[in-house]
Amino acid sequence: MTTATPLVFALPKGRILDEALPLLDQAGVVPEAAFFDKSSRALSFATSRPDVTLIRVRAFDVATFVAHGAAQAGIVGSDVIDEFDYADLYAPVDLDIGHCRLSVAEPVGGTGDGGSARESHARVATKYPNLTRRHFEKMGVQAEVVKLNGAMELAPSLGLASRIVDLVSSGRTLKENGLVETSQIMQISARLIVNRAALKTDSARLGALIDAFRTHVAARKAAA
Amino acid sequence: MDTSDPDLLPADLLPEGLEDRLPRAAAAATRVMRTIHGVMEGHGYDRVLPPMIEFERSLASRMAGITSRRMFRFVDPQSLRMMALRSDITPQIGRIAGTRLAAAPRPLRLCYAGQVVTIKGDGLDPAREKLQCGAELIGADNVAAAAEVVAVAIEALQAAGAKGVSVDFTLPDLVDTLAAEALPLAPGQIDAVRRELDTKDAGGLVDAGGEAYVPLLYATGDFATAIDKLAAIDAGGALAGRIAALREIALRLDGRARLTLDPSERHGFEYQSWFGFVLYAEGVRGALGRGGTYRIAAPDADGAGHEGEVATGFSLYPDALIDLIASAEPPADKLFLPLGHDRAAADRLRAIGWRTVAALSEADEAATLGCTHVLGAAGPVAL
Repeated sequence: MTTATPLVFALPKGRILDEALPLLDQAGVVPEAAFFDKSSRALSFATSRPDVTLIRVRAFDVATFVAHGAAQAGIVGSDVIDEFDYADLYAPVDLDIGHCRLSVAEPVGGTGDGGSARESHARVATKYPNLTRRHFEKMGVQAEVVKLNGAMELAPSLGLASRIVDLVSSGRTLKENGLVETSQIMQISARLIVNRAALKTDSARLGALIDAFRTHVAARKAAA
Repeated sequence: MDTSDPDLLPADLLPEGLEDRLPRAAAAATRVMRTIHGVMEGHGYDRVLPPMIEFERSLASRMAGITSRRMFRFVDPQSLRMMALRSDITPQIGRIAGTRLAAAPRPLRLCYAGQVVTIKGDGLDPAREKLQCGAELIGADNVAAAAEVVAVAIEALQAAGAKGVSVDFTLPDLVDTLAAEALPLAPGQIDAVRRELDTKDAGGLVDAGGEAYVPLLYATGDFATAIDKLAAIDAGGALAGRIAALREIALRLDGRARLTLDPSERHGFEYQSWFGFVLYAEGVRGALGRGGTYRIAAPDADGAGHEGEVATGFSLYPDALIDLIASAEPPADKLFLPLGHDRAAADRLRAIGWRTVAALSEADEAATLGCTHVLGAAGPVAL
């Protein structure tokens, strides 16, 4: 019924993008050349499908665009989905890419102020205030969250926070900054997300897109 | 700016999530409300007007799943009991049906329209005040009742100007039904499985121990194909009755709107039982309304509810539709009446639907006052 309007698909900048593009290819959506041109300042791109437009935004904004229905579908890590906990997001396909984990890390040799699971208050630097608060609440600790947008690893050494909550894949960044992973909050992988209302009102196109992703993920799993 | 100091905020700032409707939008709102009411009334639903404020307990105890946490609450200076502003009119209708109209013959058809208020916006929607219009069929929750209620809801939206109406069917108690026998779950797992089904998170569903429920995620989409998929995975025939009922409702709707199915949708179905539906329309982001079958709790003297009457109903939240209609609508004709105009002629014109604006002094000008016509000797003349 809304076939005249293009389907907007949101892709995150950064770590998931390279792994996501082959999946998108297989689903029949190939971005125009400008998408790969580093000097291009365009924000939205045409694709091999005339009815699909791509936008490339920050990972957290992928969830926001899709939740508001400004984009109808997108790819984003489960960390972002759980952080926002938007009721209007569906995450129908686990894409099995972009694996990492969300972990608590603190300076090697403890926090210096005797900090441990026993304390009732912790100061934590993170990009994930909601997940962090929830994690510490579960342990009975009232976390004071310092929201940062990057370079969390600096916070403990400069006295901004006693520990950090951040994504860890190899653990190298932590090690280089004198930090050690003390507990894992959750395992993360990238998901295909769709807007709840869009799926209901445009179920033919979005349903086909979901099925295409699901088929390719299943085929890849079977081959592995 | 320190927003905690009230003196630093402009005196006439409206709180977040509240707004004024100016003439154009207000006119659209009035017309939409009147049209929706007309359709409900035409189908035999009688309007009732419950109050804005009630005791908190009576608002919260009529339906399972309604909590007073989202209501504005305060102490009644008279009785010293907690009162609340209504956040949903449906429990008020339940109260009326269960008390003052308890002896009225069943099925009882009631409808309502009014503002509801919540203490916080709902997720991404910051609005704290909404218009709620709806109808409740009390004493029946069978296929015939469900089909009537869905049909009235569709007709009301279409009459109010909604285009491309689409209806999403769901089975709100699906997980409970399946977990009872066909696909058993430990009591602790049910909530997690329900939550992951609601976000359609296949990965999370497996992690929550609901692997057997994953096929339900695929039985969504256009009704005709999705219901076949649901029938194909129906474990041990536990859903056969539900599936037959959904098919029957779809058949009775006879193509009046686009139908989709999402059997595991739970979002917004706090008190519905076996059948639920969500209404969408083209050009409106998000749902315009929802409804389904439910049970009105009958609170005992001690406040504990026991199972009461069955009912079927729907609620429309037409604010987004009103905004859409108001923005698309050309301004209505207005007739300027100069000083010393023919009063009898003006009366006649108003009687056939003209809106008039009478000059109060020589300084009043037709165009400045937004008029499209001026009353001349021979009748209205376009400007």
